[in-house]
Amino acid sequence: MKVKEIMTKDVTSIAAETNAKEALDLLQKREISGLPVMDANRKLVGMFTEKEVLSAILPSYIEKVGRFVYMENPKAVRQKARALSTIKVKDIMRQDVITVDEDTALCEVARLMLTQKARRIPVLNKIREVVGIVSRGDILRALFEEYSSDTP
Amino acid sequence: MNKITFKFILLFFLVFIVGFISHKVGLNTQQMLAVSIFSASVFATLLFWDFRVAIAFIGIALLLITKTVDLENMVKFASLEVILFLVGMMVLVGLLKEVGFFAWLVTLILRIKNLTAYKFIFVISVLSAGFACCIDEVTSIIFMTAAILEICDYFDVDPTPYIITSVIATNIGSSGTVLGNPIGILIASKSGLTFEDFILKAFPLMCIALLSAICITMFWYRKTIKILDSKIKQSLNNEILIKLISVPPEKQIKLVLSIFGLTLLFIALHHRLELLLGLEANTILLSVPLISAGLVMIWKWRKAREYIEKDVEWWTLLFFLLLFAKAGTLKYTGATDVIAQKISFIVKGNPAMLLSAMLWISALGSSILDNVVLVAAFIPIVQSFKDLGFALQPLWWALLFGGCIGGNITLVGSTANIVALGILEKERNIKITFFRWFGIGLVTSVVAITIVWISLLFLPIYR
Repeated sequence: MKVKEIMTKDVTSIAAETNAKEALDLLQKREISGLPVMDANRKLVGMFTEKEVLSAILPSYIEKVGRFVYMENPKAVRQKARALSTIKVKDIMRQDVITVDEDTALCEVARLMLTQKARRIPVLNKIREVVGIVSRGDILRALFEEYSSDTP
Repeated sequence: MNKITFKFILLFFLVFIVGFISHKVGLNTQQMLAVSIFSASVFATLLFWDFRVAIAFIGIALLLITKTVDLENMVKFASLEVILFLVGMMVLVGLLKEVGFFAWLVTLILRIKNLTAYKFIFVISVLSAGFACCIDEVTSIIFMTAAILEICDYFDVDPTPYIITSVIATNIGSSGTVLGNPIGILIASKSGLTFEDFILKAFPLMCIALLSAICITMFWYRKTIKILDSKIKQSLNNEILIKLISVPPEKQIKLVLSIFGLTLLFIALHHRLELLLGLEANTILLSVPLISAGLVMIWKWRKAREYIEKDVEWWTLLFFLLLFAKAGTLKYTGATDVIAQKISFIVKGNPAMLLSAMLWISALGSSILDNVVLVAAFIPIVQSFKDLGFALQPLWWALLFGGCIGGNITLVGSTANIVALGILEKERNIKITFFRWFGIGLVTSVVAITIVWISLLFLPIYR
């Protein structure tokens, strides 16, 4: 089975110039954790996810300072969260995005998700336009449906 | 002409000049080759910093292929003992981070009673220097910057002056022991100076230089300090600040503190233990971090691989290893002997002039170059001065203090500067201009180096 058979074709996307807070609201409204960022020609320019928002508002050094526990919310985090409405999606989106083409096998997509720690992967056609998106859940569902139809 | 083409042209021009000078001073072909490849590596590292390890790989391969050095000597000059010492210390620092040791120390700053702005600037300076004495300066500055940002946020003041102060103190502090800066252990392993020598001679001088820097920064930033002072008075107590972060008090912190404390103790006593056990110089110094790191990896065996893979900066260490090997080639070919003779001729054989030149050149050099690169290049030259009858000890101290304090002159002078200013820019969107740094950096460095200069020239203990 190929990824084009199971991908979500109606892809919701956002533009790089969108306000970051509005983009976050959209994620929450749709109850999803990330969206592809596309230009006017449906070319992928990045990925906007909740993880990117979190790393934008938390201090950049938290991974380097080792173990500690926040007992209160620092002012800086509050200020950065407020500042989200003044910055654009392009300022915090991830630009290095893993993609697959339509004819990629499901196991290859699963391998990429596991090794590259990607929760969802945009699917591109031959001219590099986004034609779909596939999530971990889609892959698991499709794999188990395929295997359950096998005769033991 | 684009930037990369310009850099390449500049690189060829600089190497050509070095080659020309090498020819003029009478170096033979092998010596000229060693000097040219080494200087090409140094200039290329300076111009293409992100490619430094690739450049180091190619540089050492060229030295081998051109028979400028053989395999046996390349391995010898790579100074594996220094690299292993740094690996051991990095594993230990990884463990300290993991148990929250540094955050625990930062909470101590948050708990200062009757905090005033002057007390704050004094404490961050002393802690920065103290941290830099015991662990590496980069780890130290990350924690200090994090603590300063949290505190300045709480009081709503510009953190820039305090971060600059902390960086200046970190660079000065890193000259206090062999642990603070890679050049410390490098000099210790090549000079025969012991940890005790560092404690008795480098540490007090570092303290005086630090004190001068604290006084200057307090005066320089007096207006900013007044603002912080009034904010502190308004806030009455810093209870919320104290509550901001915590580290669960655990047995582990105490245990790790004991391991680290014992490691420092054995490092401090290395010379006496080596004499007692009849061991070769520096055997204990270089073995203690390995024993401690080994014990840590037995204790936390499930995480041992993580310590080695994540906490050890292999990128930097490989760069050092190859750099040392390349610099050693200068000695191996005898190039540094010729250079030392020429320098001796220029300074007319006067030890005071040589010491002064070494101190100020290493300070100015490390304001633009990585100080490890600079010191690695100078070490074989200093060793060559021995045959010319110069006392080496003052030169080693000059190299140490010049290399560490010189990093304060410009904002790219040391890794600590770059790391701290990078965090400041990312976290607060504050970009410090070259001249904003240069003013305070130059004044504190000139005063500190002058103190060192006078001490090295006139105090008999340094002769």
